Amino acid sequence: MAKVWRDVQAVLPATEPEFPLVFSEIVEPSVLATLELTRELLYRASDFSACAEKAQIIIDYSWEKLNTGTWRDVDKEWRRVYSYGCLFKVIGTCHGDASQAKVQEAIRTCDMGLLMGASIMDNILQRLVNVLKNKVKTQLPGEVEDTDQPCPKQKPKKDRMAEPKIDAAMSVPRVKCPALESFRSGFLMHQKPVILEGIIDHWPAFREHTWSIDYLRAVAGCRTVPVELGSRYTDEDWSQRLLTVNEFIDRYIVDEEAVGLGYLAQHQLFDQVPELKEDIRIPDYCCLGEGDEDDITINAWFGPGGTISPLHQDPQQNFLAQMYLLISFLTGKQVVGRKYIRLYSLEQTENLYPHQSQLLHNTSQVDVENPDVIQFPNFTKASYQECVLHPGEVLFIPKQHWHYVRSLELSFSVSFWWS
Amino acid sequence: KKSMSWFGFGFNGFGQIVPKRTGGKDEGADKVLSPVVLERSLCTCEGRTSSNPTNKSETSEPEVKVAASWSQIAAIQINGDPHVCISGFISDSHEQHQRLAPESKGCQEALISERYLTLRFADRVECWSLKPSGKSLVWSGVQDVSADTGSTVTLPLVPGGYIASKPPLFRPISSKLCAVSLALGTEHAVLLTSSGSVYSWGSGSHGQLGHGSLVSEDEPRALEALLGVPMKYVAAGGWHSACISAGGDLYVWGWNESGQIGLPSKGLKDQSQRESSTETGELMVDKREDNVFIAIQAFPALVDVPEESEIRKVSCGSRHTASITNSGNLYTWGWGHYGQLGHGSKCSSDEPKVVEYFSNGGMIVEDVVCGPWNTFVSAAPRDHPTS
Repeated sequence: MAKVWRDVQAVLPATEPEFPLVFSEIVEPSVLATLELTRELLYRASDFSACAEKAQIIIDYSWEKLNTGTWRDVDKEWRRVYSYGCLFKVIGTCHGDASQAKVQEAIRTCDMGLLMGASIMDNILQRLVNVLKNKVKTQLPGEVEDTDQPCPKQKPKKDRMAEPKIDAAMSVPRVKCPALESFRSGFLMHQKPVILEGIIDHWPAFREHTWSIDYLRAVAGCRTVPVELGSRYTDEDWSQRLLTVNEFIDRYIVDEEAVGLGYLAQHQLFDQVPELKEDIRIPDYCCLGEGDEDDITINAWFGPGGTISPLHQDPQQNFLAQMYLLISFLTGKQVVGRKYIRLYSLEQTENLYPHQSQLLHNTSQVDVENPDVIQFPNFTKASYQECVLHPGEVLFIPKQHWHYVRSLELSFSVSFWWS
Repeated sequence: KKSMSWFGFGFNGFGQIVPKRTGGKDEGADKVLSPVVLERSLCTCEGRTSSNPTNKSETSEPEVKVAASWSQIAAIQINGDPHVCISGFISDSHEQHQRLAPESKGCQEALISERYLTLRFADRVECWSLKPSGKSLVWSGVQDVSADTGSTVTLPLVPGGYIASKPPLFRPISSKLCAVSLALGTEHAVLLTSSGSVYSWGSGSHGQLGHGSLVSEDEPRALEALLGVPMKYVAAGGWHSACISAGGDLYVWGWNESGQIGLPSKGLKDQSQRESSTETGELMVDKREDNVFIAIQAFPALVDVPEESEIRKVSCGSRHTASITNSGNLYTWGWGHYGQLGHGSKCSSDEPKVVEYFSNGGMIVEDVVCGPWNTFVSAAPRDHPTS
């Protein structure tokens, strides 16, 4: 496995002077001294195990800073220090005999740096992970066609979650490929929800590589992502776990006996895995906003049937796109990815009983499909719209418009938050 | 207190416990897994305990207290010729061989953090900033010499308030609270009053305030869960807090990600799974969904120390806890990756475990002070009488 080290080394600066360690005063002299010593161990002493040990000290110290105060308060310098710690650790891990387990560990370390750190040295962690992921032995998508492969948790059609009956009076209107101006004047201007059909047909995800579980494994299987466990984020038993995409699929998508729900939710997967970003496009209608295209936040939402996002609202406009997922059954192939969505306008807020706390004030206390009418009597008075969003469709959720989402089956959504 | 020695274990990245030789291969490793006697690292002044060197009858063993930051230890000699010696990270090249802090002569108590050295003298308190360019006095206040409560109020309390770990350094505390002791965590504070009540304020994000929620508090708020049980000691760590009742019971609350509360920690289980999986190359899939793990303990919880004995003292590091029983045994639990639990390994623990180095070594533990990632213990052989 010497080839791993050679390719990793090619990404690193050739000499010590080309390896910058510049930080603001907020990074204490003792920490800076440790960083400089680690760089020395690398370039002068070539002591890679000592480098890995010092790296862990840097990671542990900056991790504590990352957990101090709210995430917003964390100084970007500490996130940079954390990334440097991850970088040094990856270097220490990849040197010498880099087994498959070591490569996987190094990828995980890169991902931790990408998830919690801040970009350093021209996004070196992303460049490293691009090198390392090619060293992982995986099965190619074409190979997994036989019926011996485990099928997703999907139950046969007749047992699948019943599609809620949508009242025509409350149904979200559908429009096929509206012109920019029609969308703007018809829906954006007055902040009205609408389902846009046909606007993502051109995505490579539907034309060139139709997404499937196997494709996701092939492209991102070894990558570490944050997964939400538990029914919904307002529950006491809700928690987050870091898993690889393979682990997540194994435990929560495919496993017949999975205990509890797992949801890869609200994660900027497309920044972490640039290959996936090439399969999607930013909807043209986003240009109607005032913000930059660079400021658009793209999130992935991937999970089994039954995942719930409690009724809440977000501070930006949202295009929620449903992906096609191709699933292989014994009986043949099927396209899945439907979600039930209910929408309430901002004016209904009083009837929706938002939490009082700072942490959850954008979230309603009411369980939409099973409301406690005694505790929340006015909820049934609130007028709403609802729909079942199918693969290939895009729902426009206006800024601050309350929305509740439940997946009816295995589903992958992509949300675009724009202003 | 003859034959009392200080020991240290845990993080040694700057040679605080086992000195590193400069300009050569590091002698001391970054982790000290079992207790080590500290003599060499503590004070280079060789026990100048008498201000009058010719009067031999006055000389006695130096009595030393210890305070620790992440990268340094401050050894405070409190008898004879009181002063502070600092070891560990040396940023100022002038101080390479001089560890005595000249500004500390005559001081009675000291606290040290990455940025500041706080010194209490008989008549004043001073706060010095520790910069590579040298120390500079950044705050000083008059110590209340006249008031005699029978026991001096300890740092970081000062007349009218306390010294915080970051600016603004001086923060007022209402005198109505009758504060006798204050413990500062990373972003919270725990206060003990003369009547044995406990107050807390600051960030509550990890339950470290003990009020039963994750809400932060700007002002001192009494821990209602402890009302009616007078407390005699308080301590605070990174994201957890502890207190001891007059009857010797130990209560801990806050974040339990490494077992520092002494309750079952899922974080420990995940960590050990991940470690064993990288060794075997496989992933162990855990299908059990256990409900007994505690991530955050937002109300004080009584800690079950395996002995019948009462708890005498507790100290909290960043993510670990150490306590001494009346029978002189030391128990540690929480994060152990740097050896700060002193059991000879890098394992963390969510249950209090006795540090056998002392109990099996026939020693009685007198005092414990936790740095963020290490632990310092003063102990003496059991046979010798201590005052």
